[in-house]
Amino acid sequence: MSRAVRWTGGRAVGTAVVAVTLLSASPPVRLSGQDSQFGIRGVGTPGRWESVRSRSTGGAFGPFDPLSPLMEAPLADIGQLTATAAGGTSHRDVAVGGTTTALRATRFPLMGVAGPVGRRVAVAAGFTTYLDKSWDVTLRDSLLLRGVLQRYTDELTSDGSVADVRLAAASRLSRRIAIGAGVHVLVGSTRMTAERRFDDSSFQTVRQSAEVRYDGLGVSGSVLIGVAPGLSIAGWARSDNRLRAKVADTTSAITDLPRMAGGGLLFAPSPSARVAASAVWRSWSRAGVGAFDTWSWSAGAEFGSRRMPIRLGARGGQMPFGPGTKAPTEVAGSLGTGRAFAQGRALVDLGLERLERRGGGLIERVWTVLVGLTVRP
Amino acid sequence: MTRRRLAVAGAVLLVAACVEQLTAPGDCPDYCPSGQITIVDTLLTTSISRDSSYRGYVLAYQSSVMLAAHLPGATDTLDGRPIFRINGYGAHLRISTADTSTGLILGADSARLQVYVVRRDTATHNLRLQFYRLPITIDTATTFGSVAAPFTDSLLRSVNIDTLLAQPGRKDTVTGDSVVVDTVNHRLVLSLKLDAPAARYVGTDSGTVAYGIRIAADTLASIAFGKGTFGPVLQWYLRVDSLGTPVARKPGVLSAGFASFVFAPSPAPLDSTLAVGGVPSAHSLVRVAFPKFIRDSSQIIRGTLFLVPAVPARGAPADSFVIEARTVFADFGAKSPIDPRLGDTTVIHPDSTGTVKIEVTNLLQLWAADSTHPTVLVVRSQAEAQFFGEIRFYPSVAPAFRPTLQVTFVRRFPFGVP
Repeated sequence: MSRAVRWTGGRAVGTAVVAVTLLSASPPVRLSGQDSQFGIRGVGTPGRWESVRSRSTGGAFGPFDPLSPLMEAPLADIGQLTATAAGGTSHRDVAVGGTTTALRATRFPLMGVAGPVGRRVAVAAGFTTYLDKSWDVTLRDSLLLRGVLQRYTDELTSDGSVADVRLAAASRLSRRIAIGAGVHVLVGSTRMTAERRFDDSSFQTVRQSAEVRYDGLGVSGSVLIGVAPGLSIAGWARSDNRLRAKVADTTSAITDLPRMAGGGLLFAPSPSARVAASAVWRSWSRAGVGAFDTWSWSAGAEFGSRRMPIRLGARGGQMPFGPGTKAPTEVAGSLGTGRAFAQGRALVDLGLERLERRGGGLIERVWTVLVGLTVRP
Repeated sequence: MTRRRLAVAGAVLLVAACVEQLTAPGDCPDYCPSGQITIVDTLLTTSISRDSSYRGYVLAYQSSVMLAAHLPGATDTLDGRPIFRINGYGAHLRISTADTSTGLILGADSARLQVYVVRRDTATHNLRLQFYRLPITIDTATTFGSVAAPFTDSLLRSVNIDTLLAQPGRKDTVTGDSVVVDTVNHRLVLSLKLDAPAARYVGTDSGTVAYGIRIAADTLASIAFGKGTFGPVLQWYLRVDSLGTPVARKPGVLSAGFASFVFAPSPAPLDSTLAVGGVPSAHSLVRVAFPKFIRDSSQIIRGTLFLVPAVPARGAPADSFVIEARTVFADFGAKSPIDPRLGDTTVIHPDSTGTVKIEVTNLLQLWAADSTHPTVLVVRSQAEAQFFGEIRFYPSVAPAFRPTLQVTFVRRFPFGVP
């Protein structure tokens, strides 16, 4: 190994170690995914269980990507110890009631480590966002108090998320078939505040806050089948039991969580071209009133060498929470690239996503810049 | 080149990572949390009971001012008269600072008396002060009646404040009087010259003198004289015997050894009403049965104590006074130690009969936070015995006008509910 290569590899490993350390030291609050006003009324905004590579292809490569915590079976082909983390900055325009508000947030939705533990078995552990629960709502209103109409401003905030801590294992049963299974521990917390400021200073400002803790459990299983050279199909299913919210050791809510199933198709006609498509169903209507079962689809492609590929994709589907009788919809387009360093020991993935959500008189348009870091020491 | 690109990308990422803006206008109920802030307003009409009044906390001689007033009323005249005593040097005075030899004080050539007017109504016109010589035996037991005679026949000097203020340089070159206006502290410093007949230095009395002041004006004759640091001081100009030769000496100024005021009529005796203020000062204790449902609420955002006057507030018309509500550390009735940390006030205007409202939000919050704290309110004058003003409220035994407490509080927000 030349001196230059050694230097680059060492710096990449060092950067990865620092990134993983920082992410590990942070509370799960920072590991949230992408916010949405559609999640305020429900239990939150579901996260995207995809690495930056998969997300740059619209999520279509998720079922086949060992670093995306969507399926376990692809872990069987991980080959060597690998750590990954992702971060993203979103700029979101929310248009509702004739008003458009510009919002922005930075999130770290993914971190994981995976590697083989034997000739046929690989395991993985990591975090990803299950539900994002960060929002801040202000409103002006009035009420009749002591015979006088009192104007006030309310600000209700929630800062935090529910993380999906996954322990997964996978095995390649044959050259064509790999299977995997995972256990998901849902854990997280939100710092919630409710504040009311009266215009009349005779009434003191109302300030209440609480830390809400969440827990839940889920299991998943998946299979990856090589149908023909260059053609693979994948299927997965997952069931989560319920999300329990506790405030000061008192259970404040229990919400049933969805069952999910999905599948995908990957076709690689040549070493420099790969296309994929996937679909997912989730029974979010179990979560209660105002929740809907959702379907979502994605399609994407990756071109060029694995050292510096070009990725693009599109996806669409439904959001699980919204007003009215019809689920809000979302559609997105994405593109991205990656760069391998130090003989493939370090990879930096970059992605850009444009997303639009519509429903119930609300439109969200989001630009998201994604950065992923993968290290294979 | 690659390193530079990486550095630029890293810097961009660092900047991007610092931004966070999640605040958006709510579009309720569709895009707001299901839980709302719930506010409850309740009037506690029967929670106040076992209220009582006590008088005698601050007496006239303990006040920080000397009150002077002459206010004719419908049935009587409120007459307040400052009295003070200034002890002298004795029969002898040191002739020189160089040795300890003393000489007999033969008498006074003159003296200069300085008094501070610390509160006055600028709307008062033709304000006149009359200084009287009083017996040097005046003390804390002196009453209005016991000095009525000298206040009639022992007039020493008179001065018209308005006339003096109108003089060039605020000095009367004939009488030697002067006045200084302290516009910063809103005080008048009045300096009176006492000539030889007025400034009598009586060696057998150790040079002790006592004076009293009566005031008069066209209207609103009510002022306050300072005590202590801003109390009366006397500068003697003495003749002292020095080996048979009278010599003039100007010793150091003397301040009042005793200062108080007497007044008539005396305050009406306490009855079942809740008395606040006056001289000697009165307190009223209001005991509150603080409901558990309010104590257990998440936050009290407003609490108001309503008190209905039983009679119009008494006092000098121009002397509005402030009453305050405080809590106590322990309920020992009249001797309850008052908690000085928190207090709420309101202004009382003499002759007013309107319902008095005192915002006691912070006191109720204290009770909610500390369940061991006695739920007792003391209502008293903020500047005790510094005003003649007194107000009496209906007690809890008067069902139609009893004290009431209006409390606005917030229920606990349903955090954690989707």
